[in-house]
Amino acid sequence: MASAQKIVDALKKHNITHAVGVPDNGSARIYELLREEPKIEVITVTREGEAFAIAAGLYVGGKKPVIIIQNTGFLESGDAIRGTVINMQVPVVVFIGYRGYHNRDADGKWVDSVAAFLEPTLKAWDLPYHKLETDADIDSIDWAYGKSAETSLPAAVLLIGHAK
Amino acid sequence: MLIKEECLQLIASQRTDEIVIATMGMSVPWAKISTHPLDYASVGSAMGHAADFALGIALAKPDKKVVVLNGDGSMLMCLGTLATITSLAKPPANYLLFVCDNGTYEVTGNQPVPRNADFSWVTIAKGTGFEQVYEFDDIDILETDLPKIWNEPGPVFVNLRIAQAHEPPPDRWGGFPYPYLQESLATSTHKLRKALEEQ
Repeated sequence: MASAQKIVDALKKHNITHAVGVPDNGSARIYELLREEPKIEVITVTREGEAFAIAAGLYVGGKKPVIIIQNTGFLESGDAIRGTVINMQVPVVVFIGYRGYHNRDADGKWVDSVAAFLEPTLKAWDLPYHKLETDADIDSIDWAYGKSAETSLPAAVLLIGHAK
Repeated sequence: MLIKEECLQLIASQRTDEIVIATMGMSVPWAKISTHPLDYASVGSAMGHAADFALGIALAKPDKKVVVLNGDGSMLMCLGTLATITSLAKPPANYLLFVCDNGTYEVTGNQPVPRNADFSWVTIAKGTGFEQVYEFDDIDILETDLPKIWNEPGPVFVNLRIAQAHEPPPDRWGGFPYPYLQESLATSTHKLRKALEEQ
């Protein structure tokens, strides 16, 4: 599992101003640390689609938000993602908690359907992503910021396990 | 009952340099009376996400008032945004939300939105913690009260009980001769960002 502090440090290096989303068990420690940062405002939303619209508005106003949600909420957000950050061409990094990643049955199939749907959906929606499971993967955050800046579109970091 | 265009005329008469985010059945009527560089049509975006998009702008630009011209069907799609707004440590004082409430999905033919006879926007807004909540169904009272509402610190929720009309679906595909509907959503978005940067 990755260090929540190292993830927050990487986000600070990219000068994020707001963290918008809905926490899950994997991101809970990240949210906790972000709330202690005086220069970062955490906005908890009621449904994940809201996070994309609020982040787009923050970007229009000159801020640099990061979105942090779970894969369940990512699936719920489909039209908000299409209609805001994609259609508006907003460069934003999205952390997506990979719920169910480690839970497979005897045949190697995912037990939790949301784990099975996540990557095919990202590919179908043409959203680039890298996985972040341990501290060795922290560079995926730099990659995501580079990718979103290059395309002026969202890029995702899939957070595997519970950041500690 | 109010007439939408008359309400928008009153809003336009108050407007100086505020950002105005219009969506669905408000976007074309607003374009007929305003061509301000800080007008933005949430058209070709995602239905239900004008109020939260505007919230992001209001938080990013606390010194700039953001006015939302939302529909009741759109507001129902993102009702949680009202709770998000009031849950903030500093709810945006520069946020003025109008819900143009005709009880229908106007641009698709006035199918009724889901609600019963006891439905109340005032109750919902107050219940989520909005302190400045207004409802109007008389144009003379709206005309009298709007200047005060316009200038008071928000967030402010205003329900306008408007008559049903027959606005067609707005789009950005060339069918509407208004500047903000003649360009892509991405172009509009980046133009607004640039305009705000320059202020």
